[in-house]
Order: sequence, then C-alpha cells, then structure tokens
Amino acid sequence: MVAKLLRGLGVLFVLLPLLAAVAGFLVLKDRVTIVIAADQQAANGPDPVALLRDELRSLQAEVGAMQQAMTTNFERLAEALENRAELRHADVQALRSELAALARQCQQQGSDAVARHAELVARTATAAAATGPVPEAPTAPVEKVPEPGPLPTPVVPPVAEPAPVVPKKAGFLSFALPTARFQFDAPQDYVLVPELCRVGFDAKSTLHDFTGVTSQVRGRFRADFDDPAGAWTGEVTVQAASLKTGVDGRDDGLRERLDIGQHPELVFKIERFVPGGNGIDVAKQTASGELLGTMTIRGQARSVRMPLQIEVDPQKRVVVRGQLPLKLSDYGVPVPSQLGVINMQDEVVVWVALRARQQVEARK
Amino acid sequence: MRALAIGLALLLPACIASNVVAVEQREVGSALDGLAFRPVAAPQLDGFYESVDIRGDAAVSLRRIYYVFDARGTYTAAALAEVDGVLQFQTLGGTWSVGPGGLVLDGQEPVPCEEAPEHVRLVAPSGAVVLRKGRLQ
Repeated sequence: MVAKLLRGLGVLFVLLPLLAAVAGFLVLKDRVTIVIAADQQAANGPDPVALLRDELRSLQAEVGAMQQAMTTNFERLAEALENRAELRHADVQALRSELAALARQCQQQGSDAVARHAELVARTATAAAATGPVPEAPTAPVEKVPEPGPLPTPVVPPVAEPAPVVPKKAGFLSFALPTARFQFDAPQDYVLVPELCRVGFDAKSTLHDFTGVTSQVRGRFRADFDDPAGAWTGEVTVQAASLKTGVDGRDDGLRERLDIGQHPELVFKIERFVPGGNGIDVAKQTASGELLGTMTIRGQARSVRMPLQIEVDPQKRVVVRGQLPLKLSDYGVPVPSQLGVINMQDEVVVWVALRARQQVEARK
Repeated sequence: MRALAIGLALLLPACIASNVVAVEQREVGSALDGLAFRPVAAPQLDGFYESVDIRGDAAVSLRRIYYVFDARGTYTAAALAEVDGVLQFQTLGGTWSVGPGGLVLDGQEPVPCEEAPEHVRLVAPSGAVVLRKGRLQ
C-alpha cells in the first residue's frame, strides 16, 4: 500500500512539473518576443585602433613623399649653386688675369720712368762738365727729391661693382631730358589733349544750317601708323550735354533728344584702321584711310567707317581729322520738327579734329 | 495758322544766323599764329618767362618750361617733363649772358633768339621753345 502510494507520488512529481511547463508555455507563448541585438561596441563606430593604424600609414606615406621632394629640391639647389660658383670662379679668374696684365704694364712703365730719369741725370752731368762751374744763384730751398728706389708691388684696388647704367640724357636749354623720341612707325599709346580737340556735327534745316561742337572730349588709343593690318584699339568719349549750337533753345532740344539723363556720353570705340587714299608715308609722318569702329549715340551702337587723315604737328602731337555722315534715326534720335514746317534733316555730318600726345613709356 | 507758320519760316532765317564751322576752322587754333618773330642779336631777357609752345624732339617729353633771368647774370628755371610716364618738375640754375650768337646758358653754345612782342623764341638743336614774358606777383 505504501509502495503504491510512493509510486503514485513519484509519478505525480514527474508529471506535475511537465504539466506546469506546458501550461506556462501555453500561457506565455504569445507574450514573449526574442530580439537578437547588435553588438553595442560595434554600433558606436569603427575600431579606433584600426583608424590610428590607417592614419599612421597615411602620415608615413606623406613623410616619405616630403622626404623625396626635399631630396630632389636639395639636389637642384646644390646643382644651381655649383653652376653659379663655376661662373663666379670663371669671372674671378678673368679678373685676376686682367689685373695681372695691368700690374705688368705698371711695372714696365715704372722701369721706363727710372731709365729715363737716369738718362736725364747723366745728360745733366755731361752738360755741367762741358760748361764749367756755374756760380750759384740765391734760390729758394728746394725740396730734395729722394732717389728712386725699387718700385713697390702694385696694390690692386678692390674691384668695384659696375655702376648701374644711367639712360642717356639729351640736353635742351640746359635741361637734361629723357631720350624719348616720337615714333610714328611703332606701336605707341596716345592720349587726347582735350584743350586741343573738337568734335562736332553739321546739320541742315529748313531755316539754316548749323554746327554743334564741343571740346569736352577724352580718350586714348594705341596705334602703329605704319602697320598695314591697322590693329588699333581705343575709345573716344564726348560729353553729350556739352554740345553747343549757338542757340540756347536749340541746345536744350538737342540734349532732350539725345536723352542725356540716360545716355550722357557719345562713344566711339576704335577697332581697326584700314589704310587708303594716300596711304602711309613714314617719312612725312602722314597716313590716311578709314577708321572702323562702333559709334554709340543715345545708347544705340552702330558699326561705322570714318575716313581719316593723320599727321604729326611740330609739337610732336598726332593730328587726327575725320568725318562721316550718319542718320539720327539710325540711333533712335528724334529728328526735330517745328510746326511741321521748320524741319531738320535726318542726316548729319559728324566730324572730329583731335590732337593726341604720345605717352612716354616707362623704361625699366 | 499754316500761313503764319510759313511766314515765320520765311522771316526767321533773317533772325538766326548760320553758324556752320568751316572745315578748315574745325581745329583748335594756336594763339601764336598772329606773332611775327624776328632775329635779334642782343635781346633784353631779364625777367620771368613761361613757355607757350615747344616744338621738336624736346616736345615729346617737355610740357612746360619756366625761366627767371636775373639782371645780375644768374637764372633759375623749371621744366615740367614726362619721365618714364610720370610728370616731374626738373629745376636748375646757373649763369646767363647774351652774345652775338644769342643766349648763352652756363657757358654753353649760344642759342639763337627771335623776338616778338612779349615773346621770345629760342631755337636749340633738339627743339624750339616760345617763351612769353610774364609778371611775378
């Protein structure tokens, strides 16, 4: 009986935990989630040791490259110094030879002088013996000339650095001037002399013809008058408001039509010179032809060809004369008309009478 | 109205003179054009002068010259010259005299002189200069 009771208890002890486990599994199976998390250390970044190793390798590579570059540079420097030293050595040798030759020449001249002195002394003694004793005249004491001794070894003075080359000066009424000369047949820069420039236009109207003119001109250009290709560059600018026609009311109208508020300047951009007419005469310093460029009036730019004559005046300034017809309507300039009866013609003749001074180039 | 305008158009030309500039008068003229220079053996030069015209090679770099000739035979002068692209004043002084050949500066070769009212022209080998007599204030 006891044995049966013990067997039943044993079976019960075995089955109870199993039943409890099954019951627990059934209860918790939907509530438990298994997550496999990544390694925390790996999530924080790469291995610092590996990074340091990589950086070290980079530094080693850079140091190696620098060492290589420095070696190359030092080799070049040494080579350059050696070449320079050789050149200096050659110069010094040449100077030494020259000085030795000079020393020999001095020695020879000294010997000649001593010989001539001895000859003179001998001649004097012979002459004194032939004429007999001469009573001594009271004379001022004469400093005794020492006997010529052996010539000292010539001392070579230190060779001075050659003086910098000073440009030659040409005199003019005691002034020293630079050697600048006017060059007609070479590329030169020219600057307009406003006081000697005039730009204008000739217009025709029902009443009478009139001219508008101004001296408020500025500009510069670069030109070689002897260049058949005529590669000129430059620009001439006129203050539109300064144009005067001799009638104040007409000037006001002109300024209004030129819209000087928006377009205060009339501009001619120089692009090329085409020789023509009498061509280029370098001897006479004259040229004629056509100047190609862009005329801008009232903000409207048009390509134009202006016939030009060029000469050089006695003051060594370039004189430029030219004119060309143009239509005001091409540039958007309203043609004046009063009451439909007094009309100005659309076509005007624009002319220039310019003088430009050659700019003396800086000489180094 | 139209008749009035036509009438005005016929009358106005008589009121407004034409001012067309002749082709030969387009250039700026020189104030020296009316001066007649004549050679002079012994010019009276003492006083202050400034240049109004420089010609020849000297004109390439010289812009203006000033001289003060003292009656005691000394002079001081200044020249405004373009040197290496820059305008610079150059000053000097020395002695002057007038001989048969013209003006002698610092014992150098005489420079021929020509005179016009209030002006003197000196003709040197490298150029000529017209000096206008001025008054120091």
